[in-house]
Amino acid sequence: MLNNFIFRVFLVVSACLAPFSLYAADRLEQSALVRENAEQSLLLSVAQSQSRLISVGEQGLILLSDDNGEKWRQAPAPVSTLLTAIKFSSPNNAWAVGHDGAVLSSSDNGETWQVNLTGREINQLRKSALEKEVERLSAENADPEVIENLTYALDDAVFAIEDGPTSPLLDVLFTDANTGFITGAYGILLSTQDGGNSWNYLGHRLPNPDGLHINRVYQLKSGRLLLLGEAGLIITSDDQGNSWQQLEAPYYGSYFSAVETDALYIFGLVGHSFRYDELNNRWEPVSLSTEATINDAIAVDNKLILAGQGGALLRQNSTGFSPVGERQLRSFSSLVFTGNTLVLTGETGITRITLGKE
Amino acid sequence: MNKLSSILLWPIYTSEKLSEWLLFSFRKTLLFIFLLITVVLAWQASKIRPDASFIKMIPSSHPYVENYIEYRDDLAGLGNSIRVVVAAKNGDIFSAEFQETLKQVTDEVFFIPGVDRSALKSLWTPNVRWTEVTEEGFVGGPVIPPKYDGSPESLEQIRINILRSGQVGILVANDFRSALIQVPLFDTNPDTGEKLNYQDFSNQLEELIRDKYSSNEISIHITGFAKIIGDLIDGSVQVALFFAVAIIITLILLYLYSGSVMGSIIPLLCSLAAVIWQLGILSTLGYGIDPYSMLVPFLVFAIAVSHGVQIVNTITLASATNGDDKLDASRHAFKTIYTPGLTALISDAIGFITLMVIEIQVIKDLAVAASIGVAVIVLTNLMFLPLLMSYVGVGKRAINRAKVNIEKKNSRWHFLSVFAETKGSYTAIAIAVCFLAGGLYLSQDLKIGDLDKGAPELRPDSRYNSDNTFITENFSTSSDVFVVMATTTQEQCSSFDTLSYVDRFQFYLKGVPGVQSSVSLVDVSKRVTAGLNERNLKWQSISRNQFVINASLAHVPSGLMNNTCSLLPVIIYLNDHKAETLKTLTAAIEQFIDENPLDSVDFLMAAGPAGFEAATNEVIETAQYKMLIWVYSVVSILCLLTFRSIRTVICIITPLALTSILCQALMSQFGIGVKVATLPVIALGVGVGVDYGIYIYSKLQTYLSKGHSLAEAYLETLQSTGKSVAFTGFTLAIGVVFWVFSPIKFQADMGILLTFMFIWNMLGALILLPAIACLLYPKKAAPAH
Repeated sequence: MLNNFIFRVFLVVSACLAPFSLYAADRLEQSALVRENAEQSLLLSVAQSQSRLISVGEQGLILLSDDNGEKWRQAPAPVSTLLTAIKFSSPNNAWAVGHDGAVLSSSDNGETWQVNLTGREINQLRKSALEKEVERLSAENADPEVIENLTYALDDAVFAIEDGPTSPLLDVLFTDANTGFITGAYGILLSTQDGGNSWNYLGHRLPNPDGLHINRVYQLKSGRLLLLGEAGLIITSDDQGNSWQQLEAPYYGSYFSAVETDALYIFGLVGHSFRYDELNNRWEPVSLSTEATINDAIAVDNKLILAGQGGALLRQNSTGFSPVGERQLRSFSSLVFTGNTLVLTGETGITRITLGKE
Repeated sequence: MNKLSSILLWPIYTSEKLSEWLLFSFRKTLLFIFLLITVVLAWQASKIRPDASFIKMIPSSHPYVENYIEYRDDLAGLGNSIRVVVAAKNGDIFSAEFQETLKQVTDEVFFIPGVDRSALKSLWTPNVRWTEVTEEGFVGGPVIPPKYDGSPESLEQIRINILRSGQVGILVANDFRSALIQVPLFDTNPDTGEKLNYQDFSNQLEELIRDKYSSNEISIHITGFAKIIGDLIDGSVQVALFFAVAIIITLILLYLYSGSVMGSIIPLLCSLAAVIWQLGILSTLGYGIDPYSMLVPFLVFAIAVSHGVQIVNTITLASATNGDDKLDASRHAFKTIYTPGLTALISDAIGFITLMVIEIQVIKDLAVAASIGVAVIVLTNLMFLPLLMSYVGVGKRAINRAKVNIEKKNSRWHFLSVFAETKGSYTAIAIAVCFLAGGLYLSQDLKIGDLDKGAPELRPDSRYNSDNTFITENFSTSSDVFVVMATTTQEQCSSFDTLSYVDRFQFYLKGVPGVQSSVSLVDVSKRVTAGLNERNLKWQSISRNQFVINASLAHVPSGLMNNTCSLLPVIIYLNDHKAETLKTLTAAIEQFIDENPLDSVDFLMAAGPAGFEAATNEVIETAQYKMLIWVYSVVSILCLLTFRSIRTVICIITPLALTSILCQALMSQFGIGVKVATLPVIALGVGVGVDYGIYIYSKLQTYLSKGHSLAEAYLETLQSTGKSVAFTGFTLAIGVVFWVFSPIKFQADMGILLTFMFIWNMLGALILLPAIACLLYPKKAAPAH
């Protein structure tokens, strides 16, 4: 009670002092700068819902466009960390994640944003999830080795709280308005079933004992969930994330993106690409004739379009893949197709390329 | 007032009597001493060396420069450096021949004295590296592979390493057809303590690099402050030629004016002696001669000639009217000219001294050089010229010609005397007001600082500027570099707090108009962090984990932090170095610091050429008005003391002010900015221009006191001194007009402006001065009879 009172007094005093106080040095508390030419900054992800495009990137940048990516304006953002991914959970509702465990949400089509989670909460979620798991397994008299490993993980989680919110989040996906998944570095996986009101830490439930980075979360048409990560990490779930299975990888480098058309394609480091052959239940290599890492892939008219390192931009045709437009030098990170235009994000910000007939 | 001025002018009056007695009692001894001093000083003057120091051209007491000087040892390459580009005329840099040449040029540059060898950067120096993480782990190394043998395979390896090193646009041209060598210089050699000799350095670059390696296959392009200075000094040598031309034309004019051979040669020799004395004294005092003070001998010569003319003129008149012999005529001339001459020279000197308010060493040096020059004129032309003339005389022919002229009652000045009548004066003043309005209107666009690209000191089509254009077009880093020094306590330059603060700052900078890009330790850390994570862009951020930051900074390119890790420079590349761009930038940086204060990090401006330019512009902008106030108040007070009348001061100062305004209009129309080179022009113009007013008004006053009407008095004035005033105007103009042909742009600018000011000040004194007098003394304007 008394503590609460002191806290309130503290709040009032600091609110009065706010205009005079030193600036909040931490990028998790500091709102993003509003700046000219922001669309020429490092942008990592772009998402589309109806006519609205939202792109996120360095320094907490959140940019909105309503004309297929021609003009952009900056939405005020409550953090200034590097934002790595943006997805819509339903029309008007969007989620963005980034470094320092920043999770932001908007319920007005991206105009305003709230901090939903930060790395500090994620560290706590991880610790309590591990504590509960150790408790549960101990009660069930489970394999002592498993419990021991979990105890080590719990120790790590306690240390991580001291280190602070150091782990970046790398991807976000909502399978419906209420169900969402967030992946991140060092094996972070979070899920929500109530539209982000509460989050569960699931990282320890994955077959990922080394805590490899999870770069991408993707949902197949069948409803199956797919996680792609470091060192050949491919994990799937057929029950909305309750249980997870590791798949044998065709290549032991990292994977960054996945897309499904006639089959599932996955893309890894330095051009390693594979197509899943359902009939024979095996991955077959796909030749891209490039050594560029593909960072994002989409399907247009059931044909793939790939964007990646060093400005790689490839389009699938009947015989294979061919470059689109003039070769760019700076890397692309993600892309959407809108109207007749590819809107790409990357090192130099927004790039628009009109997609002609093949 | 009277009392005060007589106290103040007392030294001049008494010194007149004393010096007259001294001079004319010991003529031979003094002449011998004079010759001896001239010989000694000539020997001293012959030792004077071109001198230009980087630090002298920037305002050393401006906070930006003070900050730079405090950290200059840690800012290798950001203060004073040159860039040498080796370009392939055919094909690209991936040939064994090209790489061999690049290697040789790198080695050659390495051994030129003055180069900071540890910070030298080229594809062929081991400090240029690449790092990357592949599925096999962490790899990295120098860009030139250790096993390089010129084979196509090893050239391909270079190509791959360059792409991985992030040097495209920095050390390698965007089109891969040329490569750049960054050469930081020591302003003072740390081993020998010797100052860098820019001329030698620049010549060595030409001989050892450009001449030796330029061929049908290879072209060499060199830019940088040291090269600019080298070229400036080379260009200034041509000035000697202009000096010769000015001497010959002056001699011809002198002869046409005086009609006496001796009366032409002696003033010329005395004026040359003034120049020798000035240079000799400067050399003895340890001054060198820089491209700015290079112009002072011209001024000294011209001012000396104009005073010499007054002496010779008076001697001739005295001989013609009173029939004085050589000695008496000379003595009379000395007595007549000494006081107004000394007053005029003092006002010149004070005009020059006001330049000392500008806190830029080259301008101060210029002020010193010019003041010394004016001071020696007192000795050479006011004292020794009459002494010499007392031996040689002006000659019979000149005296006879003067007699004829006096009897003829020269009427060619009649047309000018209308300006001393009511009607004429109104016309003149109306025209002056029109000029004033036009001048004020046109001078609105007057800009501070340099307005051209590249090195504005040199002409746009000079080799330096075409080299500069080549580099700007083919490389991403412009030469307009502005450096902000972020300082912390020791070992804190790479802390998470510091780097994320600087990260935000750089993000902010990219939105400032005129900023191309910026580079700092933050970029290295972000790039390497992404590199350590498979070059994944999603990791291109400052890590919150200090161990990751430290790992990312294992190989920091030199110049991005200091040894104690208390300084990280933020290097900002700008589109241009126009004053407006720099002002916007500095205001934006100050705004950022205000809005985002952080105790642990201080952002200090500024280093880099654009940083110094910003400081110089700020100093010049304030100094401009300070200097005008000083020069006008000092000159006004001097006139007030001499003439003891406010109205007289108005008569003399108004034409000068009009000329100053017209000069500004001219600058704005010719695209000449107010800068180190042009700022002194106004002080020089006013200082020298006031002479006309003083000479004319002192004569006018004499005739007015005899009871003449203003128009009559003015006609008399014109007949006695009009000719010598006009002659003085032209002599001065001839001294400077040839600078217009200088290969150095700012000398040409100074030439145009000074010629304009000398001529207009003369016209102002001849036309506007009587018109204003007519307006201010309406009673005297009416005819007396």
